Amino acid sequence: MSDIGSLKKRHDTSKRISDFKLHEHLSNNNKHSNSLVTKPSEVKKSPQPPLYNFDSIPITTSKLIQTAYETRGPNLDQQEGEDIDNDNDNGKNGNKSTLLPFFFIIIKLRFLSLAYNPSKTPLLINEDVNKLPKIPKRVSTILNYKPEEEENGGIDGLLNDGSEVVTWCLSSGINCLSIYEYNGILKKHIPELRRSIYKKLATYFGPDNIPNFSVKIPHLNLIYYGVEDYDIDENNQKKIDIEISLLSVIDGRQTIVDLTKIMADMAKNDEIKVEDIKIGFVDDELRELVGEEPDLLILFQPYIDLQGYPPWHIRLTEIYWEDDNDQVAYSVFYRALMKYSTCKVNVGK
Amino acid sequence: MTESWISTFPGYTQALSLTKKFFANIIKTGPVPQHIGFVMDGNRRFARRNKIELKEGHNAGYESMAHTLELCYECGVKSATVFAFSIENFKRSPIEVEWLMELAKSRLLQIVEHGELCEKYGIRLNIVGNIKLLPKDVQEILIEAERITKGNKRAILNVCIPYTSRDDMTHAIKSVVKQVKSDKLSTEDITADTITENLYTAGVPPLELLIRTSGTHRFSDFMLWEASDSGVMVEMIDTLWPDFTPFQLYLILLKFSFNYDRRRLCKKKITL
Repeated sequence: MSDIGSLKKRHDTSKRISDFKLHEHLSNNNKHSNSLVTKPSEVKKSPQPPLYNFDSIPITTSKLIQTAYETRGPNLDQQEGEDIDNDNDNGKNGNKSTLLPFFFIIIKLRFLSLAYNPSKTPLLINEDVNKLPKIPKRVSTILNYKPEEEENGGIDGLLNDGSEVVTWCLSSGINCLSIYEYNGILKKHIPELRRSIYKKLATYFGPDNIPNFSVKIPHLNLIYYGVEDYDIDENNQKKIDIEISLLSVIDGRQTIVDLTKIMADMAKNDEIKVEDIKIGFVDDELRELVGEEPDLLILFQPYIDLQGYPPWHIRLTEIYWEDDNDQVAYSVFYRALMKYSTCKVNVGK
Repeated sequence: MTESWISTFPGYTQALSLTKKFFANIIKTGPVPQHIGFVMDGNRRFARRNKIELKEGHNAGYESMAHTLELCYECGVKSATVFAFSIENFKRSPIEVEWLMELAKSRLLQIVEHGELCEKYGIRLNIVGNIKLLPKDVQEILIEAERITKGNKRAILNVCIPYTSRDDMTHAIKSVVKQVKSDKLSTEDITADTITENLYTAGVPPLELLIRTSGTHRFSDFMLWEASDSGVMVEMIDTLWPDFTPFQLYLILLKFSFNYDRRRLCKKKITL
């Protein structure tokens, strides 16, 4: 835990940065805005109060991220109801962005994620997340294996990224996380992963106060509790603070194929009828085999490529990625949560 | 959707089609996606924004679809899939469902008419989805439209009505199981490809590009099996579907060919 002095210091610097950024943001908003962004002047006119008021809270670093987020273009759903009247003319602004602001945004984002780093303080993360009206129950993320010679690459890099995400989730009150990595490298390095998560949790929460976690491999039907193999009894299971499940390409199409094989064999032996195979039935089976559908899928890559992610499990999942990001950074994670908190799901209606 | 006064000039349509051809030819010099999926989202929001009736919003959506598909086929895309109606959409108000059905009936017949889209580009219409859920008269017209375009070979248009991907996958699993049961297939031979071949979109080139409009970053049960494969480019853009212009599609196609090698390399690296 960091002491109060350093916390205060950070707040002061962040205030300076955020004021500076906010000013910049206001002057640049029109240039960068996506097609449906409301102009600041219009926002003032809207009678509805904002969903969460950032100004009333003593300044924290989340304001900084909020600024960066707004520059990138806020969520549509949030505005949908309020500004039917004044967004008729905004539709054509979208295509005007040139390369210059694009580079500017990249530099700005790099700077922001450097300036804002939760530096291993779950309290700060918790404070950020508490301002959001809703958070996802289950989060999933796709991590990429980078070659050894790259910065933060190799297996160590992957383990580090994975355990970072685990601590962010835990600090923001999300207790179900699935990590997808195509080749299943994490699955092959379970002891290292458990140690890495343990270490990370210790630096975040302090060595006396380490939360319990479980690592699950749905494909092999294995569960590991904590860093050491202590006895799995019911008491321990109840105390688990975060469940981590590791997915790889094998949990995707291949699992559906395996399920089909099993069903085919059963049908051949007249154990089930073909008519009984319904969406609900398949859904139950796949939930058993792979896990629940996540609410939010965060991609730490600049484009959407699902790399064989379980197809059944992305039906209504909110997907978050950033066009110019390829780093596993807290600011990206937080913006993903922010985006999710303003989304509304209406199935078909 | 073009400015009305410009379109009154003589030779306007010729100029427009020439421009379109010109740009399409540029696209053709690089790799072109063989199969594009469209989630046409945002018609109702468009109607609300522009203060027009819901019905008109859906009509505008159809117009946009026609323009978009024209450019697609002009560029040499072999197959396009449009998400016209989800099984979940039956939950909407009965009157809206009725409008959508009317729209589907009239527009599909319009597409397959002489001299229209299907004949011009040699498109075979393919109805994708669980059509048993539709009213009888709509079913008949869909089958009729499919029959008219049966002989066309150059390109395919899949119209998903009423479709969800989970339903599609379940259907595929079911038919595979059926084949095993009747000894046409042995259990060992079941692979991912077997399921792909039993989807409603069997025989269509694999999906390479998926476009979703209206700023919603979800798949909403559309082509999950196909889209989750590695190397598929997914574009989720903020424009509402009726505002989606061929020019935007053109930019996406350029991006597709620009990033083609990177995606292929990614795929290769991963499968090692």
